Amino acid sequence: MSTDVADSAVTPPAAGPPPGIVVRGVSRSFGAVRALDAIDLEARAGRITALVGPNGSGKTTLLLVLAGLLVPDTGTVRVAGHDPVADGPAARARTGWMPDAFGTWDTLTARQVLLTFAAAYRIPTATARVRVDELLATVHLHEYADRPASVLSRGQKQRLGLARALVHSPDVLLLDEPASGLDPRSRVDLRILLRKLADEGRTVLVSSHVLSELEEMADDAVFISRGRSVVPETITTRSTWHVRALSLGALTGWLTAVGAAWRPGEGTPDGPGSVLLEVSGDEGAAQLVRDAVAAGVPLTSLAPVAGALEQAYLTLEEERR
Amino acid sequence: MTSMSPIAIDEPKAPEQPRISRRGTWGVSWHGVRTVAQLELRQRVRSTRWIVALVVWFVVVGGLTLLLSGFLSDAMLGTGNSGPLMFGAVVFLVLGLGLLVTPTLTSTAVNGDRNAGTLATLQVTLLSPAEIALGKLAAAWLAACAFLVLSIPFLVVALFMGDTPPFAVVRVVVIVALLLVSVCGIGLGFSALVSRTAGSTVLTFITVAALVLLTPMLFGLTFSSVEQEENVQVWGPVDGSTFGEDMECGFTTQVQTVAHTERTWWLLGINPFVVVADGAGTGPIVHDDYGSSADPLGSIRDGVRSLRTPNRVDNQCYYASDSLPANDQRGDDSAIWPWGLAANLALGAAGFVIAVRRLAIPSRTLARGTRVA
Repeated sequence: MSTDVADSAVTPPAAGPPPGIVVRGVSRSFGAVRALDAIDLEARAGRITALVGPNGSGKTTLLLVLAGLLVPDTGTVRVAGHDPVADGPAARARTGWMPDAFGTWDTLTARQVLLTFAAAYRIPTATARVRVDELLATVHLHEYADRPASVLSRGQKQRLGLARALVHSPDVLLLDEPASGLDPRSRVDLRILLRKLADEGRTVLVSSHVLSELEEMADDAVFISRGRSVVPETITTRSTWHVRALSLGALTGWLTAVGAAWRPGEGTPDGPGSVLLEVSGDEGAAQLVRDAVAAGVPLTSLAPVAGALEQAYLTLEEERR
Repeated sequence: MTSMSPIAIDEPKAPEQPRISRRGTWGVSWHGVRTVAQLELRQRVRSTRWIVALVVWFVVVGGLTLLLSGFLSDAMLGTGNSGPLMFGAVVFLVLGLGLLVTPTLTSTAVNGDRNAGTLATLQVTLLSPAEIALGKLAAAWLAACAFLVLSIPFLVVALFMGDTPPFAVVRVVVIVALLLVSVCGIGLGFSALVSRTAGSTVLTFITVAALVLLTPMLFGLTFSSVEQEENVQVWGPVDGSTFGEDMECGFTTQVQTVAHTERTWWLLGINPFVVVADGAGTGPIVHDDYGSSADPLGSIRDGVRSLRTPNRVDNQCYYASDSLPANDQRGDDSAIWPWGLAANLALGAAGFVIAVRRLAIPSRTLARGTRVA
């Protein structure tokens, strides 16, 4: 996935199913604040696309435009082949949106909440009952189906919100921070569920701050910063690795001798310790292991400091400064 | 729409703003309205607060009616029938309390949902903005009508005290219900316009207070400005005739101060209390020996109606048997309430239209300080 994450933001697929979401040159300002600045984005059907960016970078605004709630100042948007501005109802019928912050009607039960939304999507009552039971089982809320939504915990409400976004079997799923408030078990369930939805040919766009989380589930990633989609320095070129050896002195001595630019990690020169090293991708790492072992350095471990997304994200941060 | 041409998307865009399709904003289906209304009612009726409110209403209206009937039977002992007075008092009590309760039913309908984060998720469904607004309006109106229905027994009690045509109960209930739906509409409009729930509630109450209290105040304050000196035809005793039953009367012209209330009567005409009094259809006014009437609704009706034609002949000869020719006596006696009711309904409709427009998505503007979701 490492290459995909970096490349998909730039190169659209040559063939395959039509893209679920296409955004071209979309700008949107709130007064003097330019929330979106000519952003481009493409999310393919059948894949999970991560939307990554710092706070205030325009992720939520973009999702509001995609959900058909905000008019962009300029640019075009296609969601499941429909323009949410010119043809709102058609686009909304195929879009499931889960906002980052939302409420539930406290006096209604979880089942009533979902049935109300099914009715709002004009699903016939008989079909809706079956669908709601399915969804409650999917998000593991069937025990709470007939309890008022006010007794649900934050994570349970979050799951109810996810079920709500899925009630009309949308082709395109827009999830804003879906994992926040979820316990580890639910996060795994969410990942499995999203994978299943993508495998059914749906387009899934997920924004999150939990990058390790995204990294495990996303096929593609789009980075946005200050309202623009940006191409991060690709992860494959150079990344920071954590190199640990039984003797720090031997490791640093060898690295200095071969002229590698290492940074101190932890440990004392006499005992075991580690350094941080810029390595060119997996091949570079393999090369390093070969050379170190050949030189007699007692290597114990070699691991990337952070995930690919996180590294890419950090280069973004640097770019911003 | 099987495949999309990338060319259509990549074409250079004109700088103008994207066109918003407003098709579907005003689309209304019974299914959609019922879905929203059911949701609103479930949210309210489920809470025990609602039951408590209904019980309190019944007790308050019932208690005040009892107190009134006791008071009236004491005060009016032997001086005629207290039926119309009782009826008028109960009608005004129900209307007054209704105007006090109803604004709270819709004044947080839109901004409250927005603050609770439940509005946007409803807007992105296939419900049209008109369906959402109409559903909220219908639910609030039904709730207001529940209060009204609880008051009907007391109106019937007043009816049994006599001298009120039975049909007046029906007319009063229908007119009050229509006035309350206007208030619901006004509240809905403010709740869509203002982001804070406290602000929209205050504005709704101020609007209702303006209709109820400000209109008679303005009428009074502008009274002197519509007064002017002019020649008036007076039907009075001719020169030399002595004051008494057998005096001779005739027309003379005198300079008198005339209040041209035909310019300001509408201030009273849009007052909800005047609308109900005028529309109640109680019987003709019978003045008792002291010149006062026991029918407050009829008195208001006749009073406001006569304000439209202030320039009629001044009759100073009402004691005489030689009375004023009939065609000069009465002014315009047509009903005011259809106009007053229409004015109130127009305000409610304006609120409703504002709410629908504010609920329409995708939106270009965001209310200050609000997030969409």
